[in-house]
Amino acid sequence: MTISTAPHKPQKTGWLFPFLRYLGRNKSLGIGLVILLILVAFTLFGQFFVDPKDAYPLSVPSKRPPSWEYPFGTDFYGRDLMAAMVVGMWQTAFIGVVAGGIGTFIGVVLGFVSAYFGGWVDASIRTVCQILTPIPVMLIQVVVAGSLDKRSVTIFTMALIVVMLAWMGPTLVIRSQVLTMKERQFVSVAKLSGVSDMGIIFKEILPNLLPFVAAAFVGQIFLAVFAAFYLAVLGLGPLREPLLGNIIWLAQSQGAFFNGWWWWPIIPSLGMILILGSLALINMGLDELSNPRIRRSE
Amino acid sequence: MANFNFKIVAAAIVGVAISFTPSAAFAQTTAAVEITPDTPLEDVGRENTLVLGWSVSSPVGVTNPWAVPGYSSSEGNSLMWEGLMFYGIFTDQDIPWLAESIEYTSDDYTSLRIKLNPMAKWSDGVQVTSKDVVFTMEGQMNNDLLRFNKTFNTFVDSVIAVDDLTVDVNFKVPAPRFKFDVLTLKFDTGMPIVPAHGFDGIDNVNEYAGGVDLPHTGPYDLVAWNQNQKIYNLRESWWAIEAGLSEVPDVKRVVIANLGGTIGQNMDTVAQRLVNNEMDSALDMRQDLIASILEKNPNITTHSGSEAPYGYLDWWPNALWMNTEEGQFADVRVRRAVSLAINREQLNDILFDGAEIATIVPFPLFPGLQKFMDTDGVQALIAKYEPGKYDLDEVASLMSEAGYTKNGDDLWEMDGETVDSTINGFEGIHSDSVPILVEMLRRAGFDASTNFGTDAFQNMADGAPGLYMFGHGASLKDPFATLDFFNSRNAGTAGEPVGAYQFARYSNPEYDEILNAMSVIPSDDPAFEGLATQALEIYWRDQINVPVIQWVHRIAYNQTYWTNWPTAENVGVGVNGAFWHKTSPLVVTNLKAAQ
Amino acid sequence: MISLILRRLGFLMLIIWSASTIIFFIPRLSSVNPVRERFAELSRLTGYAPDDLEKIVQSFNKQFGLDLPLWQQYIDYLGNVITLDFGYSLNRYPTTVVELIAQSLPWTIGLILFATILSFIIGNLLGAVAAWPRAPRWLRNTALPFVLLMGVPPVLVGVLLLFFVGFQLKFLPLGGAYSIGLLPEMSWSFALDLLRHQILPALSLVLGSIGGWVLTMRGMGITIQGEDYVNFAEHKGLSGHRIFFDYYLRNAMLPQVTAFGLALGTVVTSAIIVEGLFALPGVGTVLINAIRANDFPVIYGIVLFITISIAVIMTLLEFLYPLLDPRINNE
Repeated sequence: MTISTAPHKPQKTGWLFPFLRYLGRNKSLGIGLVILLILVAFTLFGQFFVDPKDAYPLSVPSKRPPSWEYPFGTDFYGRDLMAAMVVGMWQTAFIGVVAGGIGTFIGVVLGFVSAYFGGWVDASIRTVCQILTPIPVMLIQVVVAGSLDKRSVTIFTMALIVVMLAWMGPTLVIRSQVLTMKERQFVSVAKLSGVSDMGIIFKEILPNLLPFVAAAFVGQIFLAVFAAFYLAVLGLGPLREPLLGNIIWLAQSQGAFFNGWWWWPIIPSLGMILILGSLALINMGLDELSNPRIRRSE
Repeated sequence: MANFNFKIVAAAIVGVAISFTPSAAFAQTTAAVEITPDTPLEDVGRENTLVLGWSVSSPVGVTNPWAVPGYSSSEGNSLMWEGLMFYGIFTDQDIPWLAESIEYTSDDYTSLRIKLNPMAKWSDGVQVTSKDVVFTMEGQMNNDLLRFNKTFNTFVDSVIAVDDLTVDVNFKVPAPRFKFDVLTLKFDTGMPIVPAHGFDGIDNVNEYAGGVDLPHTGPYDLVAWNQNQKIYNLRESWWAIEAGLSEVPDVKRVVIANLGGTIGQNMDTVAQRLVNNEMDSALDMRQDLIASILEKNPNITTHSGSEAPYGYLDWWPNALWMNTEEGQFADVRVRRAVSLAINREQLNDILFDGAEIATIVPFPLFPGLQKFMDTDGVQALIAKYEPGKYDLDEVASLMSEAGYTKNGDDLWEMDGETVDSTINGFEGIHSDSVPILVEMLRRAGFDASTNFGTDAFQNMADGAPGLYMFGHGASLKDPFATLDFFNSRNAGTAGEPVGAYQFARYSNPEYDEILNAMSVIPSDDPAFEGLATQALEIYWRDQINVPVIQWVHRIAYNQTYWTNWPTAENVGVGVNGAFWHKTSPLVVTNLKAAQ
Repeated sequence: MISLILRRLGFLMLIIWSASTIIFFIPRLSSVNPVRERFAELSRLTGYAPDDLEKIVQSFNKQFGLDLPLWQQYIDYLGNVITLDFGYSLNRYPTTVVELIAQSLPWTIGLILFATILSFIIGNLLGAVAAWPRAPRWLRNTALPFVLLMGVPPVLVGVLLLFFVGFQLKFLPLGGAYSIGLLPEMSWSFALDLLRHQILPALSLVLGSIGGWVLTMRGMGITIQGEDYVNFAEHKGLSGHRIFFDYYLRNAMLPQVTAFGLALGTVVTSAIIVEGLFALPGVGTVLINAIRANDFPVIYGIVLFITISIAVIMTLLEFLYPLLDPRINNE
């Protein structure tokens, strides 16, 4: 059995074509990336086609169903939902990536350090995690968000509030994985052959952990977007911003479904499903990529 | 392997068991937490039951109007308590109730005589006598937790029982509004009469819940109360039937269905439940919602039928309040600029489909107040001050004059500080209007945002920077009560929190003098109109707050099971149709079964 | 073993103490006074506006000991934690915190346990199957819609269910714990009515959370398939379902068990908002009201109750872990 399970590094020349061919085989990664690219393109190029000012109230006639002029319709407050989606998607992605990224990074580092070095390091990190995890995070987020000056609740502070207590999950999961991995044959072999700690971490364990890190990252983005959504539901987010969560909540508060303005909540809901759905697909695809033993041979 | 599976199962069972330990600990220490009837309730049928939707907030079992702060007069409790007199806003008539008459006995409004209805009885059969009235009034006078404590101490000198059915009230100063403000039940206000014998042996009347034991005069008895609902049954021996004031009501049972959450949340579900005939009425709705309800269920109507604004004016017109004492809004030019930034026509278009609900005054435009608005004096003031003007250029010139300059974000700024125009408000009732106001203010260069957070009311009480979206619960017939909120006596102490309706912290001796002169004369006194006009001039000149919208009660009346709801075409006794108001007994007992 | 248990119990105490301490101070960062909030609510809803609110608030502050120095309140509070009695709700006075919890707890426990266990089982099975190469293709793909659904927060699933199922089909109730006008009784018809009212809220929690389990389980599953012992079992010629359950599912489940404790916390969070959506009178509804009014005795009571429950479950899982994976021990 081979020691290293790291993915092959693609050759510098002509990598694109094999990569695309690989995507053809790894369908979930392919589809996920395609959806994500479309979304990124939508919010990126959309900025050139819509006026970001139209994403705010009183910009356009209100309560219009989708039409050529307003492809996604307009809401009660006079937002162009097309513009709101372009801006809101960007902001939602921002919160997700910043909070998810920081959370995962802290989690991976702490999880590694904890499981790999053991002893008092492990004990203290684990203790802190175990003390913090049973506390319902939302309460703390709500109180912190609630006690902030409303003008300082911005997209960025939202991300920070969300990440504040979101790193224990990945820490514990990574730690338990590293624990099982430490016991495995290939790590023991590497240790015996005198590979340094860092070498073992980066060459042996980390590559095997990629699916978990990726899963943790996706999970963190979920949590971040969820938490941002909950804060919006309680009226504690930056209410004026066209965050997808805010748009849905405002639609709900005005009885959009009941009043027959279905496009108002449905479009941002679809946006949210697409963002997180594509990340989930990518995550599934990453599993296959990082575990070559189950790559499909077809 | 079988052994291994067994271990998991065993561990799982232990886990679940342990997770229940805290709940077991809680369960042990608790007594009864619900009111349940001793015998199962008889089934009266849906056609005899009135189902009303409300977010119940008061502690289970509190029916004592003197329980502070537990008691809420909404949530069905108003069906248990009556006052000396009701007032029909739409007929402008007093409806004598526990009292046969209330008359001022001196020309200068310093004494008043109450004659009780000899038929009036408590739910336990005991007669309502002057002893109860004296007990109620002395309670208000001596108990500083009660609503009218300060009013009694300001005006009332003595309360004397002349005989079993006659009570004399003597005032320290002329009190022309006392009969209406305190003794008459209308909208959310007025003093209910409580039983003297119901509080025998109770040490602290403010902590006594009341439950099902406290004798009351209203037509319905509480029979069940849990987290899901409150149930009231008709008491066939209700005194008003025998006294000829009411026929035997068709509504045999009232169920207050708890909608959970805070008022105004998840209203589309409430709307759908109304359309499904699950409920007969519920709390008031935003305009588009009620229009959709009418469209989906032709059996449902509103006060104004199927015409906008689908309701009637409530007594709670909303304004953007602000701390006029310190901070950025202490400068009258900034306050005026806020008003100039608001496009009231656009508010009408977006929020009310063009109905003219946006307002320039802090009091509700009921007939008496509308008459005052139409006087030449007030019209001249409107021409002079243009309180409803929308003019961004004038905003710019006022703000520049006040020393502000536009910064890179196109917001007004002085010494590096923008104008903190965070609007503090309440999610359920303000989620339609506040985001629009925020946008209007931003376009005028104010650093506006929305705060529906937990601290919204606290910010208002503390006088924190920002704007406060809040109503004025006061005037009904003349503008005195609302204008009196800005009397210096309500200004509070700088740096200390203040109560509701005192957020302006405005003080001006000139204004106080006018208000004090108004307080001792009735509104039909020839001097009153002139004084009121002067006060209103100061209100507009100093822009004490910025009136934004009148408050409309858009209440759905479902006629599938119940007809004869009070509407504009069918005013009945003249009270408004809100079942959470103190006049609700008159609404409910006048309903007729449809089937 | 005894010393291990003692150590664990000691650790549990440490968790409870730390959590209690953090929870004590956080609501106190806010200046919102729950007594004043109740008066604010009354003034908004019933026109009750006492002339001298501040005097009243001060007298209540005194009665509830809120005028004492914070450290002294903290000491009293620790005593309350031990007896699990937090006295009166400041916002719903004269109801006690224990009464409030007792009124609402049954609704929440029912909903959360039902929803979490259901989604844990369905999600992990689907996730394991999705990664299991020998499963039929259609079975592997059933996981996909749930993975996509996890993009929708439960409260949004609830909103969509309400509209598409509740509003349109009209055979499932839209809110409340049971039908309006009924009173709880021991009878089949009431039990059925109760169950009908739980369907939509439970579905909102389950549909959105299955995907999370599927996704992580699938990640684990794929990794474990490459393991020697699974290969070995295959070469030994063990039957497919034997390998699936004993070698593969069991090992892939390990990290999921840790995650189960974590998930409880998340579900509590979701349940809190979903309850509100369906007007269920559960702990979540009470907690949200308490948070809005900064009614800290109630916040303490409910949050600590939830926290202690989760901490106990997680401590138990720590014990369970070496049982599940003999390669690790607790020492």
